[in-house]
Amino acid sequence: MRRRVVVTGAGVVSSIGLGRQPFWTNLMDGRSGISPVESMDTSEHGFHRGGEVKGFTPGPWFRRLDPGCMGRASQFGVAAGRMALDDAGLDPLEVDAQSAGVAMGTTSGEPEYLRCFDDHLVAGTLDKAGVEADLLRYLAHTIAANIACEMGFGGVNTTIPCACAAGNYAIAYAFDAVGSGRADLMMAGGADAFARVPYTGFARLGAVAPEVCRPFDRNRKGMIPGEGAAVLVLEPLEHARRRGAPIYAEIAGYGLSCDAYHMTSAHPEGAGAARAMTSALAQSGMGPEDVSYISAHGTGTASNDRLETIAVKRAFGESAYRAPISSIKSMLGHTMGAASAIEAAVCAVAIRENRIPPTMNFEEPDPECDLDYVPNRARDCDVRVTMSNAFAFGGANSSVIFKRIEG
Amino acid sequence: MDRVAITGMGVVSSLGDSHRDVHAALCQGRSGLRPVTQFASTGAPCRLAGPVADFDEKKYLPGRNLRPLDRLARLATSAVKLALADTGWTPELLRSNEAGLALGTMFGAAHTVGEFDRGTVINGPGSASPLDFANTVLNAAAGQAAIWHGLTGINSTITTGITAGLDAIGYATDLIRSGRATVVVAGGAEEFSLETVHAFERAGLLCGSHGGEPLPVPFHARRNGIAPGEGAAFVILEDLDRALAGGRPVLAEIRGHAGTMDTSGAKDGKLAMEAIARSIKLALRDAGCGPDDIDCLSASANGSVATDGYEACAAACALGGRAAHLPVTAVKSMLGDTLGASGVMQLIDLVESMRQGTLPGIPNLDEVDAGFPLPMAGPESRELNARIGLVNSVGAHGSSCSLVVALRT
Repeated sequence: MRRRVVVTGAGVVSSIGLGRQPFWTNLMDGRSGISPVESMDTSEHGFHRGGEVKGFTPGPWFRRLDPGCMGRASQFGVAAGRMALDDAGLDPLEVDAQSAGVAMGTTSGEPEYLRCFDDHLVAGTLDKAGVEADLLRYLAHTIAANIACEMGFGGVNTTIPCACAAGNYAIAYAFDAVGSGRADLMMAGGADAFARVPYTGFARLGAVAPEVCRPFDRNRKGMIPGEGAAVLVLEPLEHARRRGAPIYAEIAGYGLSCDAYHMTSAHPEGAGAARAMTSALAQSGMGPEDVSYISAHGTGTASNDRLETIAVKRAFGESAYRAPISSIKSMLGHTMGAASAIEAAVCAVAIRENRIPPTMNFEEPDPECDLDYVPNRARDCDVRVTMSNAFAFGGANSSVIFKRIEG
Repeated sequence: MDRVAITGMGVVSSLGDSHRDVHAALCQGRSGLRPVTQFASTGAPCRLAGPVADFDEKKYLPGRNLRPLDRLARLATSAVKLALADTGWTPELLRSNEAGLALGTMFGAAHTVGEFDRGTVINGPGSASPLDFANTVLNAAAGQAAIWHGLTGINSTITTGITAGLDAIGYATDLIRSGRATVVVAGGAEEFSLETVHAFERAGLLCGSHGGEPLPVPFHARRNGIAPGEGAAFVILEDLDRALAGGRPVLAEIRGHAGTMDTSGAKDGKLAMEAIARSIKLALRDAGCGPDDIDCLSASANGSVATDGYEACAAACALGGRAAHLPVTAVKSMLGDTLGASGVMQLIDLVESMRQGTLPGIPNLDEVDAGFPLPMAGPESRELNARIGLVNSVGAHGSSCSLVVALRT
């Protein structure tokens, strides 16, 4: 018998605030987290802005491990995890640790270790390199492992590095782990730190906007790289009710698909993305008319936003025009593997707050993007069902649906 | 709950590219390990390794442009091809079933990422190729294999360290059990690269890192570290009833699996052992069987000084009296540790062992510690009368995965 799974906590590390409450307030106010890049040399690029998390100090979030023994993505993940447990009213020491697990998504793992390794290798100084070039610490799995070791959670542990859809893939995994009984508590989300390789790569793809990210706007110029993390606490509905925990939302279902078309270009008719949405709706026992809000992948590139609009119409039919859809990447930039985790947190919290975030920097509508993108101002409305969409390199599509717990 | 069948197996390894040939080689005690010196100039003297020496992807992937695929993607896409060909899956059948893909890997695209990064350091960021950038995401190999074979279902990459491949099998098994997918190609792939060698060498985990003759012999009293391997291995998993209805041969059935984490990060021997024992017990429970139902064990043991010992003790703890009579193999003795692919290679060869009635030995295992709790582990291959097997996969950082596989009766 499959168990119902609810979200009882959310933690966010972002360029517009640490912790659910500050993040949410700034998000609703339309604050931008984009600023001049400080963590790497951008002098050889034509642009110098990014969504860095400034002033983050890991120490306060750690109780067992030394944050100096891990990379920035793990530090973000631990911080977001600690916030999420606090938010859920859970003390990790009182949790049944062997049935508590962690599932995280990431794009780059801990890229700073690889950067140091590469700089030393090129300079011929590897023999003098210290732990900063330790490639075992670079690997993606260290993020979920570090969170588990810090919290003392000995249950299932996985990292799913499905690039820009990774957070959704990890949340889907955790949803099934709790639903099937493999775990009684899961911390699930995504984390990524600012890194040289994706910054350079997206720049070379011509996908980076020089100043402002304006998703769905006619004059959009691209995405802006960012960083951050979000972790959700998932548990069975019955457990949450028994302990009187506040519930943000129930996870109703998810859909994952692959374009099997091209590594970096989405299917020209949005076929794969639409299949993910349709299958998420079917699994949730819902129709397109039930969806109150869609959190867009909305990177701000010419191609993504046009094809995503096509895909939503393909999956939703006429209902596409009635479901508000916004992109918080207009404020945070693209936080890579963390993006869909942060957006999932937004989808869960929106249900409790009955508010949805805006697409900022929206000035001129694009005839090819003609949906309701919630321009420039947060909106109060009855939010019963939310859908979080994310698409990735490799053609991996994902859609997760959250719904209000009635009564 | 739906039952899950294996209806195809494909492997590309240092001992060959057919699961039958690889099994024959393992039973003869042939080793894919050889001295390697290719990374010595970068300061990492890897002494023994099991690369896929004469890998020729064109043999498996003819007729199309291979330039967009890096080595990891070529290994993975080739092994997927072999698994599909094993039981005659056609592109049409795959598409109509929305076949999914679950790929486990430890280092993933690390070498491609490193090359891309070093290129921009040496030649400036303007020199970087957008085509190469596409392969720097850690899920690139899964994306490339899906494009090549038209796999339009769920496409997941699992990175849980050494256990990634077996974890991917467990992940796919659950997708089929819950009805979320009907067919999933699941497995693992790992490239032998300078990044791998440097990572393990710095940690002192390579055989001979601390001096002396390299001895990557699982369970050996004087074992002194691992020999990294290379390759890819995939199985086709599908709903058992659909497989039978479709007339496809059921090679074996996945009965159960489980994964756990040692929260000391493999630093505390007692906690490490408990976590491994827990994954074995949970896998047995998931499979609905007890220790006495297990006929054979494919161990994760790879010559590591610490984890081989933890695993042996954990198996004895979880299996009780059965451990003393349990036939045991450890194929990393000959394949090296193929990391993210290793659990899947173990699974495929254990299925082959049960089907053929022969279990590979552990060559050069001529001396074990006093009181070693798995007395049936030995250097010679043996006859085997087995129906249910246990596969263990143990990570260097504390992850653990166990899986129960059975021949169909």
